[in-house]
Amino acid sequence: MSETRANVMDRAGKLVERTIARNLKGLDFLTMPPAKVGLTPKEVLYERGTLRLYHYLPQADELYRVPILLVMATTNKAYVFDLAPGQSMVEYLLKEGFDVYVIDWEPPLPEERGLSLADYTQDFIPTCVQMVIDDSGEPDLSIVGYCMGGVLSLIYAASHTDGPLKNLACLTTPVNWAEMGLTRIWSDEKHFDVDRLVDTLGVIPQDFVQASFEMLRPAQKSASQIRVWEKMWDDEFVKSYRAFDRWGNETLPLAGEYFRDTTKELMWANKLYKGNLVVNGKSAKLSDITVPIMAAMAEHDHIVAYDASKPLLELVGSEDKEEIVLKGGHVSLIAGPNAVRRMWPKLAEWLGERSV
Amino acid sequence: MADKQTDPADAFAKLVSDWERNFDSMANKIMGTDEFSQSMNQFQNLQLAMQKRFNEAMAQHLLNLNMPSRDDILRLGESIRSVEKRLASIETTLAKKKKKKSGKDASKKPPRTKLPPSMRSEADHE
Repeated sequence: MSETRANVMDRAGKLVERTIARNLKGLDFLTMPPAKVGLTPKEVLYERGTLRLYHYLPQADELYRVPILLVMATTNKAYVFDLAPGQSMVEYLLKEGFDVYVIDWEPPLPEERGLSLADYTQDFIPTCVQMVIDDSGEPDLSIVGYCMGGVLSLIYAASHTDGPLKNLACLTTPVNWAEMGLTRIWSDEKHFDVDRLVDTLGVIPQDFVQASFEMLRPAQKSASQIRVWEKMWDDEFVKSYRAFDRWGNETLPLAGEYFRDTTKELMWANKLYKGNLVVNGKSAKLSDITVPIMAAMAEHDHIVAYDASKPLLELVGSEDKEEIVLKGGHVSLIAGPNAVRRMWPKLAEWLGERSV
Repeated sequence: MADKQTDPADAFAKLVSDWERNFDSMANKIMGTDEFSQSMNQFQNLQLAMQKRFNEAMAQHLLNLNMPSRDDILRLGESIRSVEKRLASIETTLAKKKKKKSGKDASKKPPRTKLPPSMRSEADHE
């Protein structure tokens, strides 16, 4: 009986403590500047229009021979790879002894509305690949693509089979666009006039892109805000929430032609999956990819459904291939607790074995 | 376990999660229909049609005032982009030459000799 009373008192004390902390820290929370992100030291190696190529300064005494090029999705900023110290895939890879380069994107300007899928896969990525080769002094490299960055990497790999690519890792990368769920339904050619949208707007605005993500989970934002208010006493939770929240709100606009190509060639005609994609006159068949490849997927990914990314390994021509499926969602795969515990070590191990 | 069940903070967190899951599931059912997609796209097309008319009217006004339109400015921007692209390529070539000349800094970078754990143990045995 007395123990129960002690428990009740203890719980009540904790509740009071947390309520006070919540109110005090809540005020700070509302007036704080944006979360500091992307703090790992890096240098800009190349910039042109929307394209940025960063080189992170090595943090190990001895490096693996083969450098890594991370390719970010065109819809978001690459600092999701480097959210905060201890919550950074880049920092982890650097400490494991990798030489890390990252392709990031700035919002395309109105005059970049004409950038197409061909510009991204036949100009931007090959240029950056060459820059990495030149800077590192090594003849080959590994590419790690996230989401749409994975799609661009696949198209690059399939259309540059004689290039310097040594290993390819695709994280939550859609291949079968017929399985893209609500996104596929909303952009069905019966109703969605992509030509009118691109011809009128030129660059697809940031709020259009963000809304199309948020509509997939309409209650998520409100629920997250309630959760952070309830957990305001927990500094680590709030820090992580603020970094993710900033990243989620910094969605990027998209170049119109690129959006048109993606919608028509990938979403409607599903050419990457069917093996008849041609970009800038070059065939991009997944079966032509023969380098070692790893595919990582999230079981509860609401943006790229598991069924959309699953066929990748069946379609490529590689003999050395590995699949990793983790619990969690689209973003937690690369930056959540499961990423820290399983995804990063697995990626580092897989790349390490193939980077000598 | 009993503590966990009766903790008001946990109960509240569960309530929020359940609400989120149920709301999303219900909304996804509604938004996953052909009718929803059709009406959403119709609304969007209407907005785009209005914007297009406004753009055209504005371009005509600017033309009458003998001023450059948005498209003229964008074309100018595109020319600048292509100059920037060529400039970037020249800069890259120059940087490469400079790097070669100064012999930068293979020696400053850590050696690329690292082996994965599996090969390290083999190398140790040898």
